[in-house]
Amino acid sequence: MMKRIKLLTLTLVMALLIAALAGCADSPRGEQNNESITVTDMSGREVTLDAPAKRVVVINAADCEILYSIGAGDAVVGRGTYCNYPEEVNSVQIVPSEYQIDAENIIALEPDLVILGTMYNPDQNIPILEQARIKVIITSPATIEEVYTAIDLIGVVTGKSTEADVVIDSMKALFEDIKSKSKEANFAEKMVYFEISPLEYGLWTAGTGTFMDEFCSIIGINNAFSDVSGWAEISEEQVIERNPDYVVTTTMYSGEGQNPVEEILMRKAWQGIAAVRNKAVFNADSDKFSRPGPRLAEAAQQLFEFVADN
Amino acid sequence: MHPAEYAALALITVAVTILCVGAGSVEITPIDAFMAIWNSVFGKTVSVSDESIRSIIVFVRLPRVLAVGIVGAALSLCGGAIQGLLRNPLADGSTLGVSSGASLGAVLALALGITLPDFPLGGTMVMSMIFAFLSLCLILFLSYRIDRSLSTNTMILMGVVFSMFANSSISLIIASVGEKARTITFWTMGSLAGSDYADVLVLALTLIVCGAALRSCTTELNAFAFGEDNARNVGVNVRRTKMTVMIATSVLIGVCVSAGGTIGFVGLVVPHMTRAITGPNHKKSLPFSMFFGAIFLMLCDLVSRVIASPKQIPVGVVTSFIGAVLFIYIFGKSRRMK
Repeated sequence: MMKRIKLLTLTLVMALLIAALAGCADSPRGEQNNESITVTDMSGREVTLDAPAKRVVVINAADCEILYSIGAGDAVVGRGTYCNYPEEVNSVQIVPSEYQIDAENIIALEPDLVILGTMYNPDQNIPILEQARIKVIITSPATIEEVYTAIDLIGVVTGKSTEADVVIDSMKALFEDIKSKSKEANFAEKMVYFEISPLEYGLWTAGTGTFMDEFCSIIGINNAFSDVSGWAEISEEQVIERNPDYVVTTTMYSGEGQNPVEEILMRKAWQGIAAVRNKAVFNADSDKFSRPGPRLAEAAQQLFEFVADN
Repeated sequence: MHPAEYAALALITVAVTILCVGAGSVEITPIDAFMAIWNSVFGKTVSVSDESIRSIIVFVRLPRVLAVGIVGAALSLCGGAIQGLLRNPLADGSTLGVSSGASLGAVLALALGITLPDFPLGGTMVMSMIFAFLSLCLILFLSYRIDRSLSTNTMILMGVVFSMFANSSISLIIASVGEKARTITFWTMGSLAGSDYADVLVLALTLIVCGAALRSCTTELNAFAFGEDNARNVGVNVRRTKMTVMIATSVLIGVCVSAGGTIGFVGLVVPHMTRAITGPNHKKSLPFSMFFGAIFLMLCDLVSRVIASPKQIPVGVVTSFIGAVLFIYIFGKSRRMK
């Protein structure tokens, strides 16, 4: 009798064991996750996310503005040093980015995604971040068209494609509006000079390949220094010789002493320049005018209004 | 010095001035340049198209070239006088650390916001002068303590060490001021660009006053060549001569540094070249140095404006290059002659 019970128990236990083992088998791998996103970033890298990013570290100020403009601001858990717009971002943790970025600082914030520019040693930092299972997207817009690409890219990876399209469309509409109004007004004979760095530090201007130059094409006005490329140092004499009708300075007013417009109007050697004679000098917000982000359209609008009113 | 020699030198200096005013990042023909100055002097109005040329010549180039000329003359004069006083052919404002000390004074003035009311840049100028004088005193004092005979090597060594100290202090100040760092850094790069007629006036007045003071010491400086004791025996008021030369040179160097930053080698090389022509008599070598110095620096400034046009290289860089090469040549030649 005991022997039979033992045999029965053993069989039962074996059966149970086998059943349990069967239950433990893995659920089939490669289950299609229908939220996964694959994109090609602006440096040609293919990146796949399992789901729209919920925790994002953004380094470039422009990309930060893009995130907030498409309504993904809540996802930002870390920002670069220079990210200062909109207001809400100031309460987000800073990842120091004056010279180099330290991957440690980023990993500590446990993001799903990092949006980087090309400046910060990508070859060094990307492998480290990817090892920590953080996805990295690189943006590098240099023209207005490329800014649309960046906005679209950021929209896709944060699951805000529709909102991104809205932002892009409104920018396009504003640029078109400026273009048509400018055609009516006709600024073809006029010239504008952009001052990026004031006289006391050595004059720098925005030549071709900058956003300010693109604004000039949209508005149909001449850039005083369309013969230089990029950001270039120029001499006072050249500005006086070219005699621009308008001057736009992006120098920041420090609060003490003269403001940039006054300072330019008071330069003795510049009194003969048309812009100075007509007091057509405008102090532009350098962030708006040079960040490859959503406020570029506003900047172009401001430039148009300044030129039209003077 | 023979009046004819003065006249000849003056003429050459004027010619160089005109050459320098005519050249720059924008092409302007000599006739246009001349007419621009002529019209300005005689108060004639000009057409709009000529307005820009006039602005460039009269408001950008002329004051700058004048300032450069005066600074060149001043630095050479100081170099010659210091070399005579210390009987040391390697002594000058920059090798003795006086220029660096003056820079430190100016940077402190910029950092602490020291200003004189109604006198733009007055704060930096006064601080430069004070610190130039204090630096000279300090270096002489330290050299004396180490080596009573005040040998060449000791003084130059002290000068170099003090320069390093002053420059490190400047770097420290830059690192701690935050917002003003940019202004100060840019200032230290030294440039006479942006000089206006007010600067030219201050420089000219200072040169006239200090130059006269130094001129009155030329006999005494000649006596110094035989050593201080011999000079005293011959009836020279050694102490007074020393003080006059030191104060005059530090005031002059202070003003030059506050106007254009540290410009090295001028006070070192020019007096040497001058003495090769005039001989050791200070009555001749000092005035000659002034003219040569003005010409030398104006030409260096021309190079600095034109070589990387429209960028401008700090003139101190050009003087260092040219001065160093010239100096090696002179030194080598004098060595071989021995």
